[in-house]
Amino acid sequence: MKNNWGLKIFFVAVLLTLLILVGCATEQVVEENLPIEEVDDLGTLVFTANGEEFIREGFVCKDGWELYFSHAYVTLASISAFQTEPPFETEMGWEFTDLVQARVDLDGEHTVDLAASNADPAVVGEAASVPSGRYNAIYWEMVQATGGPAEGYVVLLTGTAEKDGAAIDFKIGLDREVAYLGGEYVGDERKGILESGGSAAVEMTFHFDHLFGDFNEDPTAEINLDALGFGPLAALAVDNSLEVDLSDLETMLIKEDYELLLAVMTHLAHVGEGHALAAFLE
Amino acid sequence: MKKTTLKLALLNSIMLISGLILLLFPGGVSAHGVDLTAESVNALEVIALYDSGQPLAGGQVTIYAPDDPLEPWLTGISDEEGCFVFVPDYSKPGLWEIQVRLAGHGELIRFEVTTAEEVVAGGSRGLSLLQKIVMALVIAWGALGTALYFSRRNN
Repeated sequence: MKNNWGLKIFFVAVLLTLLILVGCATEQVVEENLPIEEVDDLGTLVFTANGEEFIREGFVCKDGWELYFSHAYVTLASISAFQTEPPFETEMGWEFTDLVQARVDLDGEHTVDLAASNADPAVVGEAASVPSGRYNAIYWEMVQATGGPAEGYVVLLTGTAEKDGAAIDFKIGLDREVAYLGGEYVGDERKGILESGGSAAVEMTFHFDHLFGDFNEDPTAEINLDALGFGPLAALAVDNSLEVDLSDLETMLIKEDYELLLAVMTHLAHVGEGHALAAFLE
Repeated sequence: MKKTTLKLALLNSIMLISGLILLLFPGGVSAHGVDLTAESVNALEVIALYDSGQPLAGGQVTIYAPDDPLEPWLTGISDEEGCFVFVPDYSKPGLWEIQVRLAGHGELIRFEVTTAEEVVAGGSRGLSLLQKIVMALVIAWGALGTALYFSRRNN
């Protein structure tokens, strides 16, 4: 009888390989709450959202339309901040739960108006008596509001666009839900560093210049090449009024522009100036 | 902005200048003398590029040392090539952080300074799923080769 050691080794190796692959294939979405060990050092973590000056003060988009926003509603849910070791970086991808040292959840659905004058940033909610430390990752979902002024939408923008003497009142609703995962805040100041007995903020930042582009940047700059602008939307206005949702836009925009709009939804979110991972929720 | 890289550059500054001064003025220096010294140091070069590969020129660079994550240890501006060179304080081992930002776009990168005056760039990054899959495939391929080797010997 032949000795089949080679085949035996091969089958064991294949089995090991499958085990490794299964171990790697962790879920994209964050799992249940991790138990937080008893700690004495506690503080308050404030969850904020920010549309920055672009939304609060208006801006000139890449094709010369001056945009002013009366409201910019985003509806947020499943919000969690994490302390990870090593610090989370978006290059690590969605599978980071093994790195989590502490987790703080903000329950519920929250609709915030990023265009409000006091939304610098807008306070979404806060969690008291949570472990101090560095909150260097944040996960959130942009979901359809179940009530309130933005019911049915994940993003609802209202305002006025002006160019060459023309003015268009717009109401643009997006209803495709998206999950985001970002790392540590990148910006003028440090955020997410919670000292014992103190308070710190984490921020979900939305860059609407990624949607409309920025007239002040070079037309060939990445921010403009990847942006829809307002021109394609202005072309859909009737009697100086534009009221559309995503399903309208799917039929009214040319395919390339609609696909660009969907792509923008996946790079709308940041943490400060740092990009966040994004995935549509089905 | 997508890519920020670190490059450890050995700045071999030459000791010649200070050596010559010491030779020419062995008895000391006058009140208007200039005492120059130069030494070799391990510097870090940060290179910031957009996704397109274009350098992020004129970017605001902010560096945080591990002992004070709230206050910048050093600030500066990236050059036309998106580069910024500096020498970390090797007496402060641990995880250093560098932010490079311009016009609302930014990136953060970390590197570790060891007590041996070494730098581990990007040491905080883990393996991606793709990397793990590739690793697993490499293991499987190696095992297959071993299996075939033994099978052939047995035959």
